[in-house]
Amino acid sequence: MRAICPICGYVYDDAAEGVPFASLPDSWSCPMCGAPKLMFEPEAAPAAPAAQPAAAPLADDDMQQLSAGALAALCSNLARGCEKQYKEEEAALFRQIADFYTAAAPAAEDPSLEGLAALFRADLDGGYPGLSAAAKAGGDRGTQRVCVWGEKVTNMLYALLARYQREGEAFLQDTQVWVCSVCGFVYIGGAPPELCPVCKVPAWKFDKIEGRRPA
Amino acid sequence: MKKLIAVRNLRLCTKDCLCLYVCPTGASDTENSVIDTTKCIGCGSCAGACPSGAISMVPLDYPPQQKKSEAVLAPAYALANAKARQEQAARQLAAAAEGDGLYRLLTAMARSVRLVNEDLLREAGYMLPQSGNAHALLQRLADEPPGPAFPTAAARSLLARLPNNDEP
Ligand code: SF4
Ligand code: SF4
Ligand SMILES: [Zn+2]
Repeated sequence: MRAICPICGYVYDDAAEGVPFASLPDSWSCPMCGAPKLMFEPEAAPAAPAAQPAAAPLADDDMQQLSAGALAALCSNLARGCEKQYKEEEAALFRQIADFYTAAAPAAEDPSLEGLAALFRADLDGGYPGLSAAAKAGGDRGTQRVCVWGEKVTNMLYALLARYQREGEAFLQDTQVWVCSVCGFVYIGGAPPELCPVCKVPAWKFDKIEGRRPA
Repeated sequence: MKKLIAVRNLRLCTKDCLCLYVCPTGASDTENSVIDTTKCIGCGSCAGACPSGAISMVPLDYPPQQKKSEAVLAPAYALANAKARQEQAARQLAAAAEGDGLYRLLTAMARSVRLVNEDLLREAGYMLPQSGNAHALLQRLADEPPGPAFPTAAARSLLARLPNNDEP
C-alpha cells in the first residue's frame, strides 16, 4: 500500500520502505513536514464525488460583521500590503490600527486546549468546506487557494495540539517550534524544512519561536 | 509621467554594482543603497542588469480591486471571525502556560492563525491598501472612532496618503 501525506504530498510506499505503513508506530510522522501518521491517507482512496457542502447560509447580518480580532488581522494584512509596495510609513500606520484592535478584542472565556482544538475542528468540518464550495461555485481562484493553504495549516495545528495533549512537555523538549512567515505552517524540529510544505517558500522564511527566557 | 520606479532589496543585493553602470540618471548610486526615487525615470535597465534579482520595478499606480461576490464574502467573514477567536484563545493560553514547550507551541499557533487570517481577508476584498474597500473602512473609522484609544490620526493620515483606486 501507498500512503500520502495530506500536507506536503510525501508518499510512503510499503514496497520501497520494507516496513508496512500500518505497522509504523503512532508516533511516526512525515519525514518531510512532520505531519502525524494518523493524518496520512491511503493513495487509492476513490475520490469520493465530493458531496458539495452547501455554502454557509446568510443567516443574519452578524455574519457580515467582522469582529475586533478579525479587523486586527485585516489591518495587519493591509500593513503587509504596504510593505510589499515599500511604503514603510503607511505600513506602520496600519499596524497602529491593527494593534488597537488586537488589544480591543474581547477575552476568551475559560480558554482551554480542548476548546481551541474544537475551534480548529469546526473550521475543518464546516468553515473551509463551506467557503471552498462557495469559491468554486463563483470561480474565485484566489479564495480557493486560501482554502487549500488554510485547511492544511489548520489540520497541522489540530494535529500538533492533539499530540501535545498526549505527550505533554516531552513532545517539545530539546526541539524548536517554527512558523512559516508566509502561510503560517507550524513545524517542529531542530531546523526548519528546506521548503515550506504548504506554500513552498525557502527555509529562511521560517521564524523560530523563542521561549520566555531565550537561552 | 513615469509609471514605475526601481526599488532595491537590500537583503538580496550583493553590491556587484552592475546597476551603477547602466543607470542613465545615477539614481541607483547612493551612499545608503536606497535608489533615489526622484532621479529614477523607471527605465528598468538596472533591474534587467542586476545578477541577483535584487531590483524590482514597482508600479506607482495600482489596478482597481477585484470584485468579490456576496456568496463568498459571507462565509469568508464568518471564518475570519472564527480565526480571530482562535488567535485570542491561543494568546491567552500561551500567557497562562506553565511549560516552556506549551508556551512556544501556543505562541506559534497565535502567530500562525493571524497569518492565515491575513491571507483570508486579503482575498476577501482587502488586497490593496489603495482599494475602495480599504478607504471606506478608514473613512468609517476616522468618522466614528471605535473607542477613545483608537488612533484616529493614523486613519486620517492613511486616507490622505493613499489614493483610492476604485473612485471613478
Ligand atoms: S546590480 Fe543588483 S546586486 Fe549588484 S549592486 Fe546593483 S542591485 Fe545590488
Ligand atoms: S530604473 Fe532606470 S533610472 Fe531608475 S534606477 Fe534603474 S536604471 Fe536608473
Ligand atoms: Zn509556508
